Amino acid sequence: MPDAVIAEGLTKTFNGSVKAVDGVSFSVKEGEVYGFLGPNGAGKTTTLSMLTAVLGPTSGRATVDGLDVVQHPHELKQRIGLVFQESTADQDLTGRENLELAAALFGVHLRDTPKRVNELLDRLALADSADRLVKTYSGGMRRRLELAVGMIHSPRVLFLDEPTLGLDPQGRAGFWKIVGDLRKETGMTVFLTTHYLDEADGVCDRIAIIDRGKIVAAGTPTELKDRLGGDIVTVRPLGDPATLEPALKALPGVTAVTLQDGTLRVKCPSGDSLIPKVVGAATNLGIGLAGVSLRRPSLDEVFLEFTGREFREDEGPTATDRAVFLTRVQSSRRRLR
Amino acid sequence: MNVRRWSALTKRELLKIVRNPAAIATGLLLPILYLILFGQGFNFTSSLNLLPPADRPGALHSLLLGAPDYFSYFAAGMVGFVGVTATLFVGANVIFDKLFGTLKRTGASPATAADIFGSRLVAGSIQPVGLAFLVLGLAILLGDVGLAGLHVTATVTVVGAAEIVAAILLLSLMFASLFLALGFTIEQPQTYFALVNAINLPVLLTSAALYPWGAMPAWLQGIASYNPVTLAVEVLRIDLFGGAFYPYAAWVYLLGLIGWALAMFGIATFLTQRALAPKA
Repeated sequence: MPDAVIAEGLTKTFNGSVKAVDGVSFSVKEGEVYGFLGPNGAGKTTTLSMLTAVLGPTSGRATVDGLDVVQHPHELKQRIGLVFQESTADQDLTGRENLELAAALFGVHLRDTPKRVNELLDRLALADSADRLVKTYSGGMRRRLELAVGMIHSPRVLFLDEPTLGLDPQGRAGFWKIVGDLRKETGMTVFLTTHYLDEADGVCDRIAIIDRGKIVAAGTPTELKDRLGGDIVTVRPLGDPATLEPALKALPGVTAVTLQDGTLRVKCPSGDSLIPKVVGAATNLGIGLAGVSLRRPSLDEVFLEFTGREFREDEGPTATDRAVFLTRVQSSRRRLR
Repeated sequence: MNVRRWSALTKRELLKIVRNPAAIATGLLLPILYLILFGQGFNFTSSLNLLPPADRPGALHSLLLGAPDYFSYFAAGMVGFVGVTATLFVGANVIFDKLFGTLKRTGASPATAADIFGSRLVAGSIQPVGLAFLVLGLAILLGDVGLAGLHVTATVTVVGAAEIVAAILLLSLMFASLFLALGFTIEQPQTYFALVNAINLPVLLTSAALYPWGAMPAWLQGIASYNPVTLAVEVLRIDLFGGAFYPYAAWVYLLGLIGWALAMFGIATFLTQRALAPKA
């Protein structure tokens, strides 16, 4: 199967110093759902912006549907759909008017426009509110309208930037069901960014985990979880964890033990049977335990494994926010001089 | 420029204008306040009645270049000035579209900078022409309700009416270009409105929209002669009151306006293209 998206050493530096994306390389097969998973500020949106010709890369190259993103931005925009994380529909227009405008912008034939607009309105459960101003829409309706706008010209590659941000679990599930159905029908490629681990796990064929502008791991969700080598038992001793560590390493079935923030993470094929042995080892050494828990392989664990940090703890400003902040600090300094 | 994209974007802009009467009212507010307050309070030409009857026409002509009274002279100035005040919102809309993400959506589509700029320019220049005629009608109506009103003393021909429309349209094109350029390059609404105020008042105060021409010092007449608002207002006054006291025909002033509009269009096109290009 040919590649729909190819990125080679894609790098984006803001203001000459903030490296938001650092030499990212990957490929997405045609018809695949490929997820970019990472916390805020990891470089997901910046990568997506370069792939959609919204931002120019500082170095490296990328092609989407065979088109170089720098050399053919105009043709590229005609072939891709883009759903932003925020609502970009015109609130002073109705849902139908927004779709008609998008149809004109993306070159849907005038004769086919009413049919295509009605088809998407029906499909995305917006037909009843099609002639209402978008400013009266709920959050879920706006998200569905964004998707309809992104799909108006039946794109070959659909880019979704945190598309379910702010939706409740039911809304998220409904959104992904629609995307899944549309993909099955059209065979389009989907590239999405998300920081919802469960979403990436459930929706994507393959995932790249991005952290601080670099891809730290990539593969199918199953492959990534398999790389953990089984379950993780986390042990929080009351005493010095370093004393307990060698005893845990010596337990049968343990493949690795790592110490992080006073907690020992013990890898093993079967956590259920290891827990009594862990408790026994600690008791033998006279070390009390504040807690022992079993964590099945999850993308949360995968992220921790490859970055050394809990997924949630790094949520903060985006790379763009950091760049804007830096620019403001620099200009303030210049003014002060 | 792609005609379908451009016309779809223009339709969007026009729909937004129609659905936002507050923007129309804002464009009208300043000229109406000037007409009802400043124009009525400052209609000094009634004091010319103190002069001997034989001296009155000469004094009027030298001061007001053929207008029958100050209010009529001034009202023509305000009709022209609508071409400036009614275009303010075009740049503000760009900034709000940036803040609300709408411009991001358009920018991510195959629409070119020419489609985006051209649609906003056309929609933003059509509205002031309509508003100018509303102000013109209001200025005439004021005379029927016991206030000073605009008295048209010349016969307005089809060519004259076309010249008036052209003058307002060219002035609107010029200022819509300027405000669009500001809108595309400025990120914060506060900065935009501060700049617009810093532009509007000097433009008004260095034009012949308010002052009786004959009462202006020579240095101010020199500046005002090149002010685009003056050029548009002179076209209106020539066609409404006659051109006997003007050094040039209306088309000469229109040529000057074309020059201003082209220059501003060129600058605005350059700045807009730069602002809408993919960020390097």
